[in-house]
Amino acid sequence: MAKVVVDAMAMQRALTRITYEIIEHNKGIDGLVILGIKTRGVFLAERIASRLKQLENASVPVGELDVTKYRDDIEHDGTENDPKVTVSKIDFPITDKKVILVDDVLYTGRTIRAAMSAIMDLGRPKQINLAVLVDRGHRELPIRADFVGKNIPSSQNERIKVSVTEIDGQDSVEIMRQ
Amino acid sequence: MTQRYLILEDGSVYAGNGFGAGATTTGEIVFNTSMVGYQEVVTNQIYHNQIIVYSQPIIGATGISHDSYESILPTAKGMVVRDVATISKNRQRSLSLDQFLKQHNIPGISDVDTRQLIRKLQSVGTIKGSIVDVADDHAFDQLHATVLTNQQVAQVATPKPYPNPNTGYNVVVIDFGLKHGILRQLSQRHCNVTVLPWNADAQAIISLDPDGVILSTGPGSPLDVPESVLEMVRTIQERIPLFAVGLGHELFALANGASMTRLGTAHHGPNHPIRKIITNDIIYAEEAQEYVVDSETVDRNRLITTYLDLIDGSIQGLRHRDYPAFSVQFFPDGAPGPHDSVDLFDEFMEIMGTREG
Repeated sequence: MAKVVVDAMAMQRALTRITYEIIEHNKGIDGLVILGIKTRGVFLAERIASRLKQLENASVPVGELDVTKYRDDIEHDGTENDPKVTVSKIDFPITDKKVILVDDVLYTGRTIRAAMSAIMDLGRPKQINLAVLVDRGHRELPIRADFVGKNIPSSQNERIKVSVTEIDGQDSVEIMRQ
Repeated sequence: MTQRYLILEDGSVYAGNGFGAGATTTGEIVFNTSMVGYQEVVTNQIYHNQIIVYSQPIIGATGISHDSYESILPTAKGMVVRDVATISKNRQRSLSLDQFLKQHNIPGISDVDTRQLIRKLQSVGTIKGSIVDVADDHAFDQLHATVLTNQQVAQVATPKPYPNPNTGYNVVVIDFGLKHGILRQLSQRHCNVTVLPWNADAQAIISLDPDGVILSTGPGSPLDVPESVLEMVRTIQERIPLFAVGLGHELFALANGASMTRLGTAHHGPNHPIRKIITNDIIYAEEAQEYVVDSETVDRNRLITTYLDLIDGSIQGLRHRDYPAFSVQFFPDGAPGPHDSVDLFDEFMEIMGTREG
């Protein structure tokens, strides 16, 4: 049983609001870079960047972050069962930049911790902010998002599924019982 | 049918047939290009002291319904139409247009060549006119001698606060002559609304501890609204999420340092395409404005332009850079007009929501 909790319109609206909040919070877009966490975070990051470009008439660099090898909750045993690690695509320096980290769902916080480790290996940003489309609670680490599309208090035996047009053919957030 | 006349300040006379009330009235002549929604238009208080010319050739065919009032006591000064429907049908109809106009003492005049009249209005701009029984020198003397008030907001806004209780967000609406569409949209979203008079000061608003504040639509010139209101806007926008519509938008722009000019021809109708800059979407909405924000006076360090009219390039929306405060010139409530931008109210709800936790 899947239930749509955020439809396409609401998703557009959430990204629009996050974009305005980013401008409010950072007093403009100077020194800003956006890093999307693979896979869906990247598409959301690109949408936020295109909105910023519409409003401010200036481009904000967007990078793709792969955090798989930084995760503490996936075993790496050197066999073929190892998760596939792709490379991050970030072709700009991040030292002294204000990084906006973008992901689709904030849950335990472990992905974000891994992402921060990945970023620190690349340079020393001036600050890191976190933007997520959905915050579903159940944090296991002291992490909170600066920009939240929608808070969806959920039970741990529910699954939150974010779809984006770019790869899933539609924009939606669904909640389903496992 | 009694013969009556619409006379204009420039000496022109339009003969027609009277309907509605038999009153003699004087007001500014404006024209509206909405295909539907004559009831919402005539009951909207932005038309206080104005005579409305409808470009839609047949008016009155659906009567008057309970759902479509935009004010309790409409104060428009008249309706000018090509044809008035003598028979009206609609499942929601409760009155005919004629009965309604009689009840509110608003005269109507039909069988006027509205196309020719609108062409004239497009070239001469704002002009005074009267609906009279006899178009003689006396009538013109009266017309020329009539001075219309510039205190429209004080005339139509509520003098006292009133509540519209519900269980959701606590919203304060500042009434500059609001259209009911704003309250309707808030009711649908279960907002617990308090409507305050237009001259409420910031402290009175803050003491109600609202989650959000709306500056309503209203009649007249933003330049005639006292400086104290702009002061209130500046105080509130720093503290509480703010959404401003119509006249409210004009005051929001003034409060943030922009200036306004009067349009040569007012926009009244839903047929201007509007570009939503952030997503590059094109929307339609009811525009009803006589003033426009001068785009070169918008301080880019304080305000972001969010919507632009695609026909004349005029600013249709603004947002503050530092605070969750935004405004639109057009009417997003879709009463009447397209519902393309009604989700601005949802956006406002979500902005209030982010400040909760």
